[in-house]
Amino acid sequence: MAPEPSAETSSNGQPVVFVVDDDPSVRAALEDLFASVGLCAMAFQTAQEFVSHLGSIEPAPGCVVLDIRMPGQNGLDFQTDMAGLGIHMPVIVITGHGDMQLAVRAMKQGAIDFLPKPFRDQDLVVAVQTAIERDRLRRQNDANVADLRERWTSMRQGERDVMDGVVRGLLNKQIARELNVRDITVRVRRRRVMRKMQANSVAELVRMAQVLAR
Amino acid sequence: MTWAAGPLRSRFALRLALLGVLLTCVFVVDTVTDREIAVAVFYVGVILVGIGMLPKRGVAALACACVVLTVVSLLLSSHGSRESGLANAVISISAIAITTYLGLRLVTAVAAVHESRAELARVARQSRLGELAASIAHELNQPLAAIAASGNAALNWMDREPPNLQRAHASVERIVSDANRASDVVARVRGLVTGAAPQREPLSINSVIGEAVELARHEMDRRDITLRLDLADNLPTIWADPIQLQQVVANLLVNAIEAMHQTPSPERELSIASCTSSGAIVIAVTDSGIGLSSEAETRLFDAFWTSKQDGLGIGLTISRAIIEAHSGRIWATPRSTGTTVQFSLPFGRTDGA
Repeated sequence: MAPEPSAETSSNGQPVVFVVDDDPSVRAALEDLFASVGLCAMAFQTAQEFVSHLGSIEPAPGCVVLDIRMPGQNGLDFQTDMAGLGIHMPVIVITGHGDMQLAVRAMKQGAIDFLPKPFRDQDLVVAVQTAIERDRLRRQNDANVADLRERWTSMRQGERDVMDGVVRGLLNKQIARELNVRDITVRVRRRRVMRKMQANSVAELVRMAQVLAR
Repeated sequence: MTWAAGPLRSRFALRLALLGVLLTCVFVVDTVTDREIAVAVFYVGVILVGIGMLPKRGVAALACACVVLTVVSLLLSSHGSRESGLANAVISISAIAITTYLGLRLVTAVAAVHESRAELARVARQSRLGELAASIAHELNQPLAAIAASGNAALNWMDREPPNLQRAHASVERIVSDANRASDVVARVRGLVTGAAPQREPLSINSVIGEAVELARHEMDRRDITLRLDLADNLPTIWADPIQLQQVVANLLVNAIEAMHQTPSPERELSIASCTSSGAIVIAVTDSGIGLSSEAETRLFDAFWTSKQDGLGIGLTISRAIIEAHSGRIWATPRSTGTTVQFSLPFGRTDGA
């Protein structure tokens, strides 16, 4: 069983579930439910409160459990605005009355799940775990891309040109002709490219180039 | 006995008699005066009076009678020139026809206005009730969701090794307070539905029935429904809220009227009876409508159950809440054709109010 989290610890890289619901008993119950399965949860009364709090915490994988019907901004409108606010965590929508139209809208906006209240705790916990896993993968992917980009920036222009040629499947001679340099220069630069990009094979280099091109 | 229908029926007879007298007067004067004097034009007045009190077919029959009488007068009259008499008769008959036509159009227009106004009121009431139901559902779902989540949390805390009883205890405490909150919602809704503070007073159930009948009178006339009142004399007074009871009776009348929607009009009959039976007054509302399906019979009083296309399924639920708040009982009995819904109310003061 996971160590018991205290609700305030969120800065040690442990996943966090953010609950946004205007009802105090639902907030308290959900915090308790998540704590009982070893998940750290933080609850907010409004979307605004959640956003202003988010600025001050360390990035950790997480997800948002969002109620639709709230005073002020409604949950689905907030879901639309999240990307603009730089919040990319997956969303699970919960609602007091499961209206088909709302469900379709929530799912179209990329929600992991749509749960009408009262929901089965198992459904919620599973949805939250799926969401956290997806967020973890997304963060990992983001980190990988950032890392690759850094490696790529560490190369000189001439090396980048050679990498471009290699990735396009050109022979050293062809690259030399294209760049108007000697064969030996291409070979030296090619070795540097492989080292700086930490690529073990041309195939791996091609994959990296694809990620960078995205 | 038919005291509620009595005055109305006699008033109607009086008006009919007046109409007859008027018709006879015009006829007599038209017959005895010269043919040149177009007294028959005054049949227009008779028709205008008739429009106000007769159904459409009655007005048409009255107009035909006026035309016939005009012709008869023309034949009977012996003074004056035949040509001008004929011309006058034609003018009179045209006037009668035009007046009848315009009058009937007016009646149709008025009926359409009534209908659309009633429809509007129904839609407004329905959307208000729909909103109410949605907000009640939301109000109840919040504590229910919290209870379910806390209950699962409590189980999880207890299933731990070692069990965390302190946290489980806190979860269960929250369950109790949320359950109380849910029952507060229910109590509030019940207060809303039956009226928070019923204003009880001694009253005669027959007068309550009379007022409800007046409310439904227009609708019954419009749908050609025959009303039979069989109200016992000298019923003991009961201690009750007149508005609430009127609501119950009116609701039963509306249900009965709507149940006869597809019944051929000569068979549309609604009867209301009151009598005493073992310490209670029993009121029965009987219709000759479609009757009850076996599902309807078992679910009739369930909240949100309805057999009507656009019904909400709360009329009889509210009625039952009101009758039970008055220590009474309400039940329905299917008949070979139609349905009887009855309720009983004990005599005297049954509550401490």
